[in-house]
Amino acid sequence: MTIDATTTAPDTAGGGVAILAERLAAVWADLDARLDRVPVLRALAEGTVTLDDYRRLLFNLRQQVVDGSPWIARAASNFDVDHFDLRSAAIRHAEEEHRDHLMLERDYVAIGGSLAELRTGRKNLGSEALSGYLFHYADRPNPAGLLGAMFVIEGLGANKAAGWASRFQEVLGLADNQVHFMQYHQEADGQHTGAMEAILYSGLIDDATADEIVRCAQVVARLYVLQLEELDR
Amino acid sequence: MGTTATAYLTGFGSYLPGDPVDNDGIAARLGGTDAVSERIRRRILDANGIRQRHYALDEHGEPTALNEELAVAALTAALEDRGIAASDLRMLACATTMGDVLVPGFASMVHGRLGGGPMQLLSASGVCASSLAALDAAVSKIRLGDHPRAAVVGSELASRSLRQRRYDGIRAGMDSHFLRWMLSDGAGAVVVEFQPHPDRPSLRVDWVRHVSLAHEHDVCMRAGMDGIDPAVGATWQDVDLAEAEARGMFLLRQDVGVLDDLAGAGLAQFEELVDLGLVDVGHLDHVLCHYSTNAFRDLAFEGLRKRLPTLEADRWYSNLETRGNTGSASIFIALEEAWRTGRFAPGETILLAVPESGRFSFAFAHLTVVAPPARLAPSAPPAEQGEPV
Repeated sequence: MTIDATTTAPDTAGGGVAILAERLAAVWADLDARLDRVPVLRALAEGTVTLDDYRRLLFNLRQQVVDGSPWIARAASNFDVDHFDLRSAAIRHAEEEHRDHLMLERDYVAIGGSLAELRTGRKNLGSEALSGYLFHYADRPNPAGLLGAMFVIEGLGANKAAGWASRFQEVLGLADNQVHFMQYHQEADGQHTGAMEAILYSGLIDDATADEIVRCAQVVARLYVLQLEELDR
Repeated sequence: MGTTATAYLTGFGSYLPGDPVDNDGIAARLGGTDAVSERIRRRILDANGIRQRHYALDEHGEPTALNEELAVAALTAALEDRGIAASDLRMLACATTMGDVLVPGFASMVHGRLGGGPMQLLSASGVCASSLAALDAAVSKIRLGDHPRAAVVGSELASRSLRQRRYDGIRAGMDSHFLRWMLSDGAGAVVVEFQPHPDRPSLRVDWVRHVSLAHEHDVCMRAGMDGIDPAVGATWQDVDLAEAEARGMFLLRQDVGVLDDLAGAGLAQFEELVDLGLVDVGHLDHVLCHYSTNAFRDLAFEGLRKRLPTLEADRWYSNLETRGNTGSASIFIALEEAWRTGRFAPGETILLAVPESGRFSFAFAHLTVVAPPARLAPSAPPAEQGEPV
């Protein structure tokens, strides 16, 4: 395969917390390069994306987004009192996200999709893997590594979604009312990433946890891209 | 500022009940065979220029359909033309002068008969311009992105109230005869979407404008009251029904003396569109104007020509002479026929103009013919493409 200039070698355990920011930046750079090669996002960038592509993307995302708050809530319930700050943050985050899929559903209906079909849809291969991994991880005691999942998912919302929204609007002539979900995440996830970064770099994270965070971010980044690659499958 | 979608007309349908009725066939359906009525009818028909029309009445003058049925027939034709089902619609905007029943609203009855799924409804009442008021509402909701698809219908079944039994024993002057021999039945519908038709041209709705001048004009066309000023305790709902009928309140009437003023006010509204830059006089290819009679055709045409020197008769379209004056349905019936007969080419612009005598309302819509979206080069759908290797 061709190696993109921004593709970096996999992070190996042992980097420690001192360079956590650099390690996560490398995960992000790899994710960014992979996203550029995802067919639907490439079509979006090239301006050849169709309304049906957008509909399919929403359909596929919804099946995983609906799990977003539950896995965070499950993680919250597994933080003991020594990790009270993380428990609080997770509870707050779960609450903030638990209606997100409704926004996506309104967008889906506003472009002519059937709510009944959307709600009876099944996860694609990538979503199955992503959701399964996140719930599994959240079941562990004190699953602080999930901050890496947050880093990826909230980062996508804060840094990518609004750009996708305006590009879909530009190419397909969509109204704001048809791209709420992606538009909204620019602002909401920007706040979330701010809160998360405060935790990541608060001094609460030890070297072992930093390794877990980076590893989780790597897995989630790969599975998120898989979810975008495996539309409808 | 928020981003809105664009509204396109992607399907067109009309329905005209029964066989066309020529001028000699009117009396069999509407009555009025006495010498005086006969003379007035001939005179009015000479002036309005209508050669044939349709009635939802059989040859004995008995009704053959409900207004809501005409609306559904036109909607069904428009949906079929677009290749979608009623269940694909999220909004239905219906215009009519008088529905079949007083309550509920016309759109509720049309939706009930049409079927499909849950949808937003609008019953636009009024007279001719209610057609474009309904269109405006649907177009606005499409632009907002609230709905992906809507349908709009204008439908009229005036004939049943134009029959002789309504006129027996009632003093009916020119104010009622003028309409009696002019109005007829029919329905026209369009499908509105936020995306153009995938494989044939669509009409992009650039804007819709609707303005009332009722603040400075008396009532012109009316029913349900005596004279032109409604009075407390004296409308058809206040007095005994028999009295209301005896006083001729159930006749549709029009103050024909102010129709020249109506034409003048309509032209002034058109001039304003030009002055505001909403109509580019250098690039207006088609004008579809609703008018009640040919008497106003030349007036309107010459008025528009003052600002549109390039407007030739072949760019001016009306099917009044063969489809009759169907009130709020007229503009859609004309649009459907112009569309179906291939008058429009991609890139061309169209002005719809609908003056309404009721109490001086004017509605306009500006459309642009757009080609179907460019076909992409054949390629596998994204899901089938692997990662580059």
